[in-house]
Amino acid sequence: MENDRDDKSTPEALFSTWMKSGTELWVSMTRAWFGIPETPEGPTEPEDTVKRTRMQESWESTLKMWEPILTKLSEPDAPDAFSKGMEALPEIVLKMIKAGWEGYFDLQQREMERLKRIGKHSEAYTFEDLDQNIFRAWKEIYEKEFKQVLNIPQMGLTSLYQTRMNQAVDKFNVFQAAAAELSRVLFLPVEKSFRVMQEKVGELTKEGKHPENTRDYYVMWLRILEGHYMTLFKSAEYSAVLSNTLEAMEDFLGARKKVLQDVLQTLPVATSKDMEELSRQVYLLNKKVKELAKKIGKP
Amino acid sequence: MESSGLPVDLILATLAKEAEKVKERAKKGSDVLLGPLDTEIAQTPYDIVYEEDRIKLKHYKPTTKHQLRTPLLIVYALINRETVLDLQPNRSVIRNFLKEGVSVYMIDWGYPTRIDKHITIDDHVNGYIDNIVEFILEKDRLSTVNLMGVCMGGDFCVIYSALHPHKIRNLITTVTPSHFDIDTGLLHIWMKKVDVDRMINTFGNMPGDLMNAIFLLLNPARLMIDKYVGFWENVDDKEFVENFFRMEKWIFDSPDIPGETFRQFVKDCYHKNLLIQSKMEVGGKKVDLKNITMPLLNIYGRYDHLVPPEACELLTKSVGSEDTEDICFDTGHIGIYVSSKCQRELVPKIARWLRQRDRDGTGEKTSLLRRKNKAGPNPTG
Repeated sequence: MENDRDDKSTPEALFSTWMKSGTELWVSMTRAWFGIPETPEGPTEPEDTVKRTRMQESWESTLKMWEPILTKLSEPDAPDAFSKGMEALPEIVLKMIKAGWEGYFDLQQREMERLKRIGKHSEAYTFEDLDQNIFRAWKEIYEKEFKQVLNIPQMGLTSLYQTRMNQAVDKFNVFQAAAAELSRVLFLPVEKSFRVMQEKVGELTKEGKHPENTRDYYVMWLRILEGHYMTLFKSAEYSAVLSNTLEAMEDFLGARKKVLQDVLQTLPVATSKDMEELSRQVYLLNKKVKELAKKIGKP
Repeated sequence: MESSGLPVDLILATLAKEAEKVKERAKKGSDVLLGPLDTEIAQTPYDIVYEEDRIKLKHYKPTTKHQLRTPLLIVYALINRETVLDLQPNRSVIRNFLKEGVSVYMIDWGYPTRIDKHITIDDHVNGYIDNIVEFILEKDRLSTVNLMGVCMGGDFCVIYSALHPHKIRNLITTVTPSHFDIDTGLLHIWMKKVDVDRMINTFGNMPGDLMNAIFLLLNPARLMIDKYVGFWENVDDKEFVENFFRMEKWIFDSPDIPGETFRQFVKDCYHKNLLIQSKMEVGGKKVDLKNITMPLLNIYGRYDHLVPPEACELLTKSVGSEDTEDICFDTGHIGIYVSSKCQRELVPKIARWLRQRDRDGTGEKTSLLRRKNKAGPNPTG
């Protein structure tokens, strides 16, 4: 009795009993739920008359897969193996957590380094030059630090869509930086013209020739401004900035077009690609018709 | 004050004096802006006599008896609209031609859409223009027409005249660039650096708004500041305000340019300068300027910042015609058509030149008129 009790109260025995009863419970519950006969010998309806939903089929297949596993687990030597596994579990969990934390800390450390680098980039430019170099600095920071994040390869079913979306965000940021730099360059002549104007007026005042009419000051300033613009527009620097901005805009519009294409493809409307193909076909058709009409003398 | 060198006290005193004037102007200006304004453009009556796709042919109703047997077909550029030639009743190239007894046809290129992006220079020249010329010849029972081109439209006319010389009696080019390898115009400098393939692959058609932005950047001090300062200074003048808005309406009415046409124009002209060398190909045929044997009148502006004189003046020396003439007006790209001085001079000069070559109305040219003006441009103004 004692032995009996001891046998039944050992963890292995308890585990075995629990697994067995658990398996029986789930099997019978499932069968009852979906109206599956208890025994194979029992009355069964012809297969074609049984209305089985996709959910029933799925549940049944899961049950069939679990039944042998659960039965296996309820065998006498399973608890022993299981308990040994359980003994090793804390160690495994600890290792997993350790690896996870290490990874997390590493990531955080990298981010901190990234942020530190951003600080260093800003420091590289003096305060005096900040307004002129801020766009270049931002571009450099963006390309070295942020752009990489957007360029991380995507995974899974929607990876291509996500990649295109990230590219559009990336191109937009590059375009914004280029446009800001163009604006700065375009404002330079205004700044310079004010400085030159101040000097000129100072000189005229010393000579007692300063204009009395405000319009004359305006005309003088406008001429100076126009001259500065002409000098700027002929410079290689301006051509490069303008060209960069145009290219950045074209890149962004191209990337945006691809994202829109993805979005429109899900809607019952014609996409840009469809329209392009259609317009080409219409163009060729139209040309052909006109050629033929001319040949038969009916323009 | 001493340290800055600026006579601030004087400036402030003048400003105070002018404040009253400004207040008065603002009051009158608000009355003008809130009152009825006539800002309509292109009011000269016309009939649409031919239509093809989005293209229309306008035939202006005569105001006097025709003094020329050969009608004039005006081909405007694809940039902006032809309405600048009929901006307002007292500033209208079209009305001036009608007054001179010229029968005027003008092409309205319409507004290209995405479906037009594949249309090429060949389609414009050997398609639309040729169909229109054929239509006019048949309608007016003639064998030739007079052709006048404006800016890029002038290039189309040059190409057309080289490919179909037998249909053109006289050719007039106004502010038409033919020599693109120059360093004087900003547009020429910038265009050489444009990656046109990338641009057209992105946009499809060349957006009119982008072209306008580029034009504004050619002279921002004048076009983005001074113009509006001028408006404010004259805001109490109703006529000035009306004319200002007419011009504003025209300037920013910018159709897109069909992508493939723009691509070829930039590549063949701005990048390779093929037209003036008679190396450009349109519709599989070489555009040989020596085929232009009809009389040629070439008009341009001395202060044109879009198409400088250097871009225009080589044409007369490159064509096959012995009857050529250059006229350089002391004005800019648009001033040729809208400035008061040019309004008085441009059309009468062209009409006179046409009349001399239209006496018998048969298309025959007198030997007296077969001359080549080798002495350079005839300056006016």
